[in-house]
Amino acid sequence: MDAGKRNIAFPIIANYNCIVKFFIEKGMDLNYIEQPKMTRRTLDVGTKYSPDYVCAPFKSTLGSMIDALEAGADTLIMTMGLCRLGYYGELQEQILRDLGYEFEMINLASYTTGNVKDYYKAIRRLNPKISLSRFTKAALIGLKMLEYIDEIEALYYRNCGFEVNKGEYRKAYEDFLMAMDMVNGRKDIERQYRKTRNAFREIRLDKPDHPIRVGVIGEYFTVMDDFSNLGLEQMLADMGVEVHRWMNPTNRNLHYKGQKNLGVQISEYSRFEMGPTSTANIWCAKNYAENGFDGLIHVKSAGCTPEIDIMPVLENISRDYKIPILYLTYDSQTSDTGLQTRVEAFNDMLRMRRAAI
Amino acid sequence: MKKAYLGIDIGSISTKGVVLDDDSNILAKEYLWTEGNPMGAVKKLLAELEKQFDKDEYEIVSTGTTGSARKLIGVMVGATIVKNEITAHAVGTLNFYPDVRTILEIGGQDSKIILVDNGVVVDYAMNTLCAAGTGAFLSSQAKRLGVEVEEFGKIALQSKSPTQLAARCTVFAESDLVHKIQMGHTRQDIIAGLCRAVVNNYLNNVGKGKKIVSPVVFQGGVSRNEGVVHFFEQQLGTKVIVDENGPLMGAIGIAILGRRARARKKFDFAVEDMEFRTREVSCGRCPNNCEIICVYRDDVLIDSWGNRCDKGALRAGTRGESVK
Repeated sequence: MDAGKRNIAFPIIANYNCIVKFFIEKGMDLNYIEQPKMTRRTLDVGTKYSPDYVCAPFKSTLGSMIDALEAGADTLIMTMGLCRLGYYGELQEQILRDLGYEFEMINLASYTTGNVKDYYKAIRRLNPKISLSRFTKAALIGLKMLEYIDEIEALYYRNCGFEVNKGEYRKAYEDFLMAMDMVNGRKDIERQYRKTRNAFREIRLDKPDHPIRVGVIGEYFTVMDDFSNLGLEQMLADMGVEVHRWMNPTNRNLHYKGQKNLGVQISEYSRFEMGPTSTANIWCAKNYAENGFDGLIHVKSAGCTPEIDIMPVLENISRDYKIPILYLTYDSQTSDTGLQTRVEAFNDMLRMRRAAI
Repeated sequence: MKKAYLGIDIGSISTKGVVLDDDSNILAKEYLWTEGNPMGAVKKLLAELEKQFDKDEYEIVSTGTTGSARKLIGVMVGATIVKNEITAHAVGTLNFYPDVRTILEIGGQDSKIILVDNGVVVDYAMNTLCAAGTGAFLSSQAKRLGVEVEEFGKIALQSKSPTQLAARCTVFAESDLVHKIQMGHTRQDIIAGLCRAVVNNYLNNVGKGKKIVSPVVFQGGVSRNEGVVHFFEQQLGTKVIVDENGPLMGAIGIAILGRRARARKKFDFAVEDMEFRTREVSCGRCPNNCEIICVYRDDVLIDSWGNRCDKGALRAGTRGESVK
């Protein structure tokens, strides 16, 4: 860590903080402050200072910001958003200032004007002496990292439930995430990616030809962040389920086909965009149903309006394709007993249905 | 010696147990209150069950636990199968009503709906964040009205014009109820209104978007309330079957699941005399502070859970006091 440079932090979001770190350190030549992983304390602190009715991602990101400030950050970055999330940065900044923290806030929502060039202003504010070529290079590498992380994660949840020797997948996956936290450049990333792919290939699987497949869909943050969804995907995988999740930044942001292209494929169910991920989720649910998935799980945080809005549409898909859907709502609870009951029953049901066919 | 199968369903309010034989005939059954002490309730339950069947003729070869305390009790009795109550209820009901299409269930703290097609569970739903319209709500309102909750059904049926109550949310329902009492509505109208509110709440929340096809079976503690049954029939426009063994269905289901599974272990009623103790330990090895539940039998740790990572793993078999 270099003295005299800004110490930047970003709230923890699933496994993606290593990309932010890479970007800040390599692309912008600033210090990145890594707060500890989210724990119950993070959530408790976040909940304590949050409005009660706000959705759970607000609470966990606020807690994570406090963790970061306590770890020595002097500049916080908060993302923009297409739903209420767009207002969160501003409100969180106000709450943190009221608590007496001193820091600078780069709220990307205030730079989201429709003109991409305006983001450059935010970057210039962080480091006025930034080298544009260096920045662009790091950004491109960061995007590659994102794709690799999403790809490895998808592979992991599809297969880890079927390994012969328990724990091998977990180890390779955790090694990969740790390596991503320490990479220095493009070559490093490529090497780690290939190494993990090879490690995955080496692991002996006992997978039936037609395993139970479950598609997990839902609200952007809660569905991706395994701390927030209490390890839902791992829980399913441990029951011997092939878990699929389309929703990740690679698919939703980097290679998103857009409302026009997806909307036309679901025109019989919905004609309008209802929120940041509603078209994607409806499309995704239909796609899973058409591909013969055994069941769907819809994940949202309590009070997430866009996701509540798509539930009636999902009911229609469920009826038309005869595919059961389990709806899960998360708030800042930390006990997973209720979740275990519902997911276990869902899994039992899928297996009984399969046995009957 | 003939084989028998034990099933125990430990809910938040009541604890149920059955002993079945190979043809699912009930050899022994018992239903009692959990009273916030699942381990004590199960000991009492086992003592009652033990008296009811012929121990020289039958031997219990599998034990199943279900319900919200299934894990704890599973460890205590050495269960061969531990399963969630949704699956157990479905299996139990299908055994008695093979052509059932819809199972409604309202328990002490949760409510669920199970849809069945051709003897296979095809969909289910369970209340999520809110406990509105469950048995716990009814019994707290019974206290407010100074009526035994067991009397609710009979009183409700006497009413000619049930009071309208806001049914969407327990909190609203409660303040609405207080208001209506003060306005001078009669007790039976209010109680009938409450029963109807439970039904509406259930159909609007848990049953939302689900196609309810007859035959309909209604279970759980609340199914003993004739008022709720009456309003279900009124709202659904179909007969609602309430089995006399309805509250035992979860226990029956888990006993059947235990019979179907391969695991076999002779059950010993000596559990009744053993000393069981639980302790909550805060892990303290990271800021998450996982609450680890330790279960001791005669001061020896037999199991623990609640830790999110290996740091909090405790070894079974250690003496009680040596664990932090």
